Amino acid sequence: MVSSKKIRYCLSVAMFISLFLLAGIVPAAMSANASFNIDKMSDMSDFDPNAVQQPTGDTIKIGYMAILSGPGASNGELFWPVINWVAHDINKRGGIVVDGKKKLIQIIKGDTQSKPAAAKQEAERLILEEKVHMFWGTSGSHIAKVLSDVAAKYKVPFMNCLALSDELMNEKNFNRYTFQTISNTTQWNMALAQYYADRPEKNFYILCQDYLYGHSMGTAFAKWLAVYKPDAKIVGEDYHELFLKDFAPFLTKIMAARPDVLYTADWSPDGNNLLRTARNMGFSQPIANIYITDTDTQKALGVEATKNLVVCYPFIIGDNPQTPAQKKLMTEWHKRWLTWKAPFNKLIYSWPDVTIGQTLADTYWMFDIIERAASTDAEKIISVWEGDEYEGLTGMHKMRAEDHQAIFPMFVGATGYPTKEVYPGAPYADGFSGINKVTTIPAEKCTPPIPEGLKDRLKNK
Amino acid sequence: MKIPPSDRGTIMEGTAFILLTQGIHGISYGLVLFLAASGLSMIFGLMDILNLSHAYLFMLAAYFAFSIAQVTNFWVALLLAPLAIACIGMLLERYLIKPVHPFGHTPELVLTLGIGMVLLEVVKSIWGTTMLTVMPPESLQGFIPIGYLKYPVYRIFIIVFTIIILCGLHQLFRRTRFGTIVRAATVNSDMVSALGINVPRIYTLFFGFGTWLAGLAGVVVAPLLSVHPGLADQVGLDAFVVVVLGGLGSLWGAFVASILIGLLNTYGIQLIPTVAPLITFSLMVLVLTVKPTGLFGDRQ
Repeated sequence: MVSSKKIRYCLSVAMFISLFLLAGIVPAAMSANASFNIDKMSDMSDFDPNAVQQPTGDTIKIGYMAILSGPGASNGELFWPVINWVAHDINKRGGIVVDGKKKLIQIIKGDTQSKPAAAKQEAERLILEEKVHMFWGTSGSHIAKVLSDVAAKYKVPFMNCLALSDELMNEKNFNRYTFQTISNTTQWNMALAQYYADRPEKNFYILCQDYLYGHSMGTAFAKWLAVYKPDAKIVGEDYHELFLKDFAPFLTKIMAARPDVLYTADWSPDGNNLLRTARNMGFSQPIANIYITDTDTQKALGVEATKNLVVCYPFIIGDNPQTPAQKKLMTEWHKRWLTWKAPFNKLIYSWPDVTIGQTLADTYWMFDIIERAASTDAEKIISVWEGDEYEGLTGMHKMRAEDHQAIFPMFVGATGYPTKEVYPGAPYADGFSGINKVTTIPAEKCTPPIPEGLKDRLKNK
Repeated sequence: MKIPPSDRGTIMEGTAFILLTQGIHGISYGLVLFLAASGLSMIFGLMDILNLSHAYLFMLAAYFAFSIAQVTNFWVALLLAPLAIACIGMLLERYLIKPVHPFGHTPELVLTLGIGMVLLEVVKSIWGTTMLTVMPPESLQGFIPIGYLKYPVYRIFIIVFTIIILCGLHQLFRRTRFGTIVRAATVNSDMVSALGINVPRIYTLFFGFGTWLAGLAGVVVAPLLSVHPGLADQVGLDAFVVVVLGGLGSLWGAFVASILIGLLNTYGIQLIPTVAPLITFSLMVLVLTVKPTGLFGDRQ
């Protein structure tokens, strides 16, 4: 029989442990400078990406730098509802107080064409003629580099929420005006390599696009795989031209090398073309990727062809726990999507998953920074954003002060079968294989080292 | 040498089989290029029009294929989409290109490029810029065993289909009255006109025929590549290289150049992947340096 003394002792220990945990957890939870508050979200029932009314006059002008023409134009279309969703939400709340005055948000398009010269010209036009206060973008690290340089030259903050290369924020290329909210190459590949560390696959083939980003990703994957899975073997490594016409010759090489996993960082249209050619040629091995997430293509390919896709991203819907804010936002978005007309009625827009979800979360963070800075002045924005901790849709996001690289957890999801009930009554992957099993890689396990030359950057500040 | 089948369902083993497969890939891609380029080449050969909207008509055909296949099937799309493109082509020639043609190549190039830009914007406003998928018909899905190889049926279909089209073109130009008139008009249109043949109408029909070929290429390529507005840039440049390399206006030149580019591309990827994208253009520079009229052409 247990004595009352023992019970009291146990209770005391339990209380002590609880207090100890609370002492650690509560301040940690409260340490975020701000958080996304879903309850503040406006009634979005009138939001239509096809009929966005941009306010004019004395507004907060955001330059939407995206590929709006040429082979990569689908990228520009993809994020148009995202940035306008957030702007619409905030504008319906009355806008943001900056410099003592409440102002609405105006989104101004800038077409990078995925060409450095065009991107530079367009960015300068937006600054000099349109007087934008901040840049939002952009697909392609080679373009992000150009924008980053323009941002520094004209002292206009730039949120890079789409381009990943480590080189963008290293000692050589870093500038105070650029903030990278998307994970960089190292974060991505640390997460993916750790995912494979405990799995049986050993032979990997790397196929990426032949430019800065593709090479960064391929090299980083090989490097981190060697760290976390020393017995892994790279059985082949190729880099193909952007917007490749025919993947069949590469796939013949890949199939001959007999990898367990094909790794690719290709974005659209290359990623989709690779997937469909691979499956049409009978290559059924897993394809570890970032951007093969176009649900319209996946639905057309069907359940079998879309199995064995391994997606690594900072934002994934699957069997992972989702915050109430995330659930509410996603449900609201989906509800609105049901009313959207072409081209936004496509399946890819149906849920704010992966790239849409991540950029949505990042855009809310960006406007939260402007709100807290209470100014569009670059120096004030920098002072708020550097070192900021923001409880975003998927957890804590920290903007590392030294190199302006955001740190957060990563997710690796694998497709397996159609998932019809991510949210009750709302099919997610109906007719194709959705992401079912999600592995979370905590932020501390995928934190990239601070570039050597930037470690002491703020010491004298 | 007996090569065991792979335990993963793939049966490509050994260098010889890989090279054979790459060869078939090269031919199938080359033939797609031929379909895309042949109309362009023929229109230039007969009418002296360098139609820069050709690649955009090719793209438009892929979109038509997507929409038609959604409500019917691929085969109906293969029939109707090129016809629709041919109609558009004839209207363009009759009402826009013909009035500009007498003023020379520069206004014509600007006009046809402008038409291309308009088509691009039309496509974007109707279908958007996201990628669309056209699946091959069920009868063309799956694989054909070739020895120890298994090769996608659809790519075999492309090879067979394009060869049929090529033979059809040959017959059309060599064995029919229409072909005879067209060939005669190429040599001396005034004389053909003097014989009582309505040459402008022949030109319009021929322009429509050339764009019909672009339409066929667009439909055939749709199940291979994502359908998106960049398709014109993606394949259009290669089609122009084919026309220039083969010789402006030469159908057989376009055929040989297409196959050559297809094979060099695939073997380049297999053997020297880092320089593969340069091979096509290097070949074009080399050929034009040695023979400025292209492989089979007689005009600069």
